[in-house]
Amino acid sequence: MSRTTRTGALAAALAISLALAGCAGPGTRSSGGSQLDIATLSFPQSLDPAHAVGSALPFFQATYDTLVKREPDGEFSPMLATGWTYNDDATELTLTLREDVEFADGTAFDAAAVKANMEHFKKGGGADAKWLNDLETVEVVDPTHVILRLKQANPAMLFYLSDAAGLMANPAKFAKADSLRTTPDGTGPYRLVKARTTIGTKWVYERNKDYWGEKLPYENLTISFFDNETAIVNGIRTGQVNAALLQNADQQISIEADPRVKTTEQEFDFQGLLLFDRAGRLTPALKDPRVRQALNLAIDRGTMLSTIRQKRGKATSQVFGPGTQGYDPELDTYYSHDPARAKSLLKAAGHPKGFTLKLPRIAAIVNDALAASLATDFKAIGVDLVWDDLDGGSAVQKVFTDRAYSGMVMNMGQSSSDWVVVNELVTPGAFNMFGTTDATVRKLIPQIQTGTGAEAEQAAKALNAHLVQEGWFVPFYRMSYLHVSDGTVEITPQSGMAVPSIYNYAPAS
Amino acid sequence: MLKFIARRIAAGAVLLVVISFLSYLLLSVPDADVGRQLLGQGADQAAVDAKNASLGLDRPVLTQYADWLAHAVRGDLGTSWFTSEDVGTAVAGRLPVTASLTLGVTLVTTVVSFLLGVWAGVRRGAADRFVQVLGVIGYALPGFLVTLVIVLVFAVNLNWFPAIGYTAFTESPGGWLSTITLPVLSLAVASVAGVSQQVRGAVVDVLRQDYVRTLRARGLPTSRIVFRHVLRNASAPALSVLGMQFVGLLGGAVLVEQIFGLPGIGSMTVTYTTRGDIPVIMALVMFTVIGVVLINLLVDTMIGWLNPKARAA
Repeated sequence: MSRTTRTGALAAALAISLALAGCAGPGTRSSGGSQLDIATLSFPQSLDPAHAVGSALPFFQATYDTLVKREPDGEFSPMLATGWTYNDDATELTLTLREDVEFADGTAFDAAAVKANMEHFKKGGGADAKWLNDLETVEVVDPTHVILRLKQANPAMLFYLSDAAGLMANPAKFAKADSLRTTPDGTGPYRLVKARTTIGTKWVYERNKDYWGEKLPYENLTISFFDNETAIVNGIRTGQVNAALLQNADQQISIEADPRVKTTEQEFDFQGLLLFDRAGRLTPALKDPRVRQALNLAIDRGTMLSTIRQKRGKATSQVFGPGTQGYDPELDTYYSHDPARAKSLLKAAGHPKGFTLKLPRIAAIVNDALAASLATDFKAIGVDLVWDDLDGGSAVQKVFTDRAYSGMVMNMGQSSSDWVVVNELVTPGAFNMFGTTDATVRKLIPQIQTGTGAEAEQAAKALNAHLVQEGWFVPFYRMSYLHVSDGTVEITPQSGMAVPSIYNYAPAS
Repeated sequence: MLKFIARRIAAGAVLLVVISFLSYLLLSVPDADVGRQLLGQGADQAAVDAKNASLGLDRPVLTQYADWLAHAVRGDLGTSWFTSEDVGTAVAGRLPVTASLTLGVTLVTTVVSFLLGVWAGVRRGAADRFVQVLGVIGYALPGFLVTLVIVLVFAVNLNWFPAIGYTAFTESPGGWLSTITLPVLSLAVASVAGVSQQVRGAVVDVLRQDYVRTLRARGLPTSRIVFRHVLRNASAPALSVLGMQFVGLLGGAVLVEQIFGLPGIGSMTVTYTTRGDIPVIMALVMFTVIGVVLINLLVDTMIGWLNPKARAA
């Protein structure tokens, strides 16, 4: 081949390559109504509803329906269950079921399917299996009626049925071990397209043409996992991603500057120091509520919020969120920043020179700025904060299994259900690992559990106030997260969830 | 040559077993409590213990390793603890992404480095200084900065290429090229900087050799001397560096994969190692070892073909 021909061939190859690259184009903005691309920072362990949890719920909502639907404002409405009633002492929940729903293989959705699903969820070994600890039996009355018999009243049962525990899969698949893990089979508005799905990276769904309910606005849905928000923000800017949730304050500020982007704020997680050792087993000083109050008074929440979260959030002294009945706006500012008062409380409690507090530090939760800020604030009242740097894996072992620490700085979701908050943070369990309680807590919890609407609300408020006054926890602030759309999608935040339900997306007008 | 290849493959097999054993031991040392990571911090201890037992984590480490090895030699790499996906399928699904990136960077680096290196080595003077300055700049610029600037300029602002994601070649060749162009460019900057200097230095050395002077004295054109004689003898050092870079890219393009949202081996390694997903990590370790052995074998073979003196060594 002559030199001229070689050069010409090379030039032609280069031109064709550039043309191909150009033709494929950059991210094409999806036309509203046909395709919805959501970016996420977490993904589910499997697509078996027994493993559904928290921010991974949308993956499941795409292919499974729940018994009860939780609306964006937290109200419950019919879904696979058209009605429900409790007996007098709230230990029996009777559900009336839809009778026109089938799974893809023709298996009917009925009371037997509900029973099989709830037993599967309870025994499935998932993170939220404990939600059904109070479920004693599921009685099939007839194909459209089922009674959930509870060991004791559980005010959060409807919440659970609108969440992970209420997801209904085809019971015919339970016999085939693990088949639901990568091949979901539900009655939901979409079907997973396995050929185009890469587990761990991208889940592709297409509309379920036989869906019994109201069609969702989008024909096709893709949920993509990213391990950093920089990629998500770039995807939003180029239209390759239509919707996402941003937690990082710097990324939020960065994307808000783009005029094409639509944003909606939501507070869901609070960040704070969860004290486990209120009995003083590891750190004797923590037994005295005055010491815990002093820790609350030592924290300069305003400055922390400004410098660490760029004011994205709201300072708070309570763990009950705004969606709960126990929430009291005045308790947000119960503890001001008052090191002098904190010191006098420590002195009165017998610790004039302070004490040493050792806490675990996971870099993903406690960055350098937060670690330094807390150490400085506590030092100002004489408390020597010692950080024990741990990686994510060993932290779980040391904190929850070995119980080696008196507390931990964590980001905690604030459920809209008071009973969920009580079960998660107040009753003995993972976050009350030493089982601390007192007479007031013991008196109020049953009132929340079995009281009528007004009684339960009053008890929840009283419990919240008690926890704050006794310094059970040291909350810092509620964090604002940002729902971001590339301008083509309207996103409605979901009560009780950090991420929107799959039903909360619609083409922008 | 065949004996040489057979010896290297046999050594590679021994290396695979030794590294797999050491890796499994190292992965089992930290207190990762996989069961609690899977079930969440709020899970009951009984449930956590049950989960750990179901994963076989309550057995001695040597037993766990032996079980893993017995399955691995039959091609069964297990199931991911955190995604329930077949490990072999999961890794295989990401290989094309990493292969595209790695081969793309290697191709671009080879072509551009050799062009720049030969030009600098033959022309000397201003051309040589220009290439050396380019090399220093390419090396000095932090990789993450180069990547961020490239994505901001060419994807976000100019919208010429996608900012994130990967399109398989089988799905759309044009889309594939579009999605790997910027990542390849990001990685190639430092790569070209290094290899071009190697090529330039080797060309300068070879041009000083007596046989080159003799070829010139015989009246051969410069281009023929360079492309037929000089390049062949100057390629060995560059090939070695290219080989090392290729190996590094196999598991090391993490930053680029994360910024561009590419589902490759690098980002997979970070994500699953953080979680302590041993089946996946072991598969990635094995894949990397095999890749390193094969690449080194290929590089040594090519060097031996280019330079017969190297075959005897």
